[in-house]
Amino acid sequence: MLTASPTYRLQHSQMTAPKSAGAGQPLPNAKFGLGQAGDITEDRKAVILIVEDSAIIRMGAVDLVVHAGYEALEASNAEEAIRLMEARTDIVLVFTDVSMPGTMDGIKLAHHIRSRWPPVKLIVASGRAIIEQSRLPEGSQFVPKPYNDSTIVEQIRRMLAPIEKPQETRR
Amino acid sequence: MPTLSSLLKATAAGSARIEAYEIDLKRAGQKTLQLVVNARVLEDGDPDRIRLLVAVADVTDARADARQKDDLIRDKAILMQELQHRVANSLQIIASVLMQSARRVQSEEARGHLRDAHSRVMSIAAVQRHLAQTGVENVSLRSYFTQLSESLGASMISDRDRLSIVVSVDDSVVKSDISISLGLIVTELVINALKHAFPQERSGKISVDYRSHGQAWNLSVSDDGIGMGDRAAKAGLGTGIVEALARNLQGDISVTDANPGTLVSVAHIADGVADVPAAA
Repeated sequence: MLTASPTYRLQHSQMTAPKSAGAGQPLPNAKFGLGQAGDITEDRKAVILIVEDSAIIRMGAVDLVVHAGYEALEASNAEEAIRLMEARTDIVLVFTDVSMPGTMDGIKLAHHIRSRWPPVKLIVASGRAIIEQSRLPEGSQFVPKPYNDSTIVEQIRRMLAPIEKPQETRR
Repeated sequence: MPTLSSLLKATAAGSARIEAYEIDLKRAGQKTLQLVVNARVLEDGDPDRIRLLVAVADVTDARADARQKDDLIRDKAILMQELQHRVANSLQIIASVLMQSARRVQSEEARGHLRDAHSRVMSIAAVQRHLAQTGVENVSLRSYFTQLSESLGASMISDRDRLSIVVSVDDSVVKSDISISLGLIVTELVINALKHAFPQERSGKISVDYRSHGQAWNLSVSDDGIGMGDRAAKAGLGTGIVEALARNLQGDISVTDANPGTLVSVAHIADGVADVPAAA
């Protein structure tokens, strides 16, 4: 049985989320360890992991993801993100910044996730637009900073459309 | 220096020729010198006494200068990237805070103001990104206005099939500070058109147009919406911003009935004396 690691952060699904009955409850532990990363369990919101070291930007990213009707998890560096990915099998998309403290930046993290959890979708944001675009794993989406919230939401919807069941929160 | 000596021998034998051969001259107790050696046979018609013409130049200082210059250029590039990265991150913080406030605030009017503020920040961010990508102080207005309209559309238009922004700009290139002023004028006029020209889910198109000829230029934003009718423009913040910036650029604002819709243009007429001033 898997226990939550001490680095676990709050789940934000109930913060200011648009009404969606029954969704956003913390996962029962029994669900851990089963299935594949990238799976979406029936009648649950898709889970998105946000990796960003700046607290205010991370707050904003969580806010926009939750408002778009998804469940948000957050990490402030790559190591924390990987620990979360190992503990949770229901993360379908990772939205990460590039420059972060620690041994791994967002680009290395993106490559690591792509090879270890291939189905997980990737959105990478950075203020260094030109250098980074070409260094990302295939299939990941680059967004220059500062990004428009609606651009991110559109991108998430586009990436999750093939695997997501229709939700009432979708436009 | 065995290599040099064998090269000189080969040159003397006529089988080689030394051109700009670089060697490090190492001597005990003295600093290493970088030398450039040129050597060739001096053909004076005497095959028995072969003579070599050898030229040696000390390029130690010149090389050090060049290296230092390269280092400085590289340092400057790294510094610029770092700066642009920080600016982008700071603008992201501001944008994030504004959007979080806009989502939380109860009053529809306050939400509108916060969204407008967000659009203004994104408008400045667009020119910043443009400068980071092109790396020059001159901004090509066509690509900047295209990026800007893309950004405004993304944040202000919920149904992109209903409303669109079309950009038509000539090959004009302006200084970055002027581009910021022009970009802010476009931002305000587009926000204004989006707010007032298309009530009740009306569909339509907003056109952003810029032409210049010598010193003269004309910027216009038009829409095919409901038109101004008899309503006078309220002197809001947007109007104030446009007036101040237009004055700064020595441009005259005119508002005309486009039938349908409204056309607002800011024009600077060349007077042969004044240059376009630096924007505030």
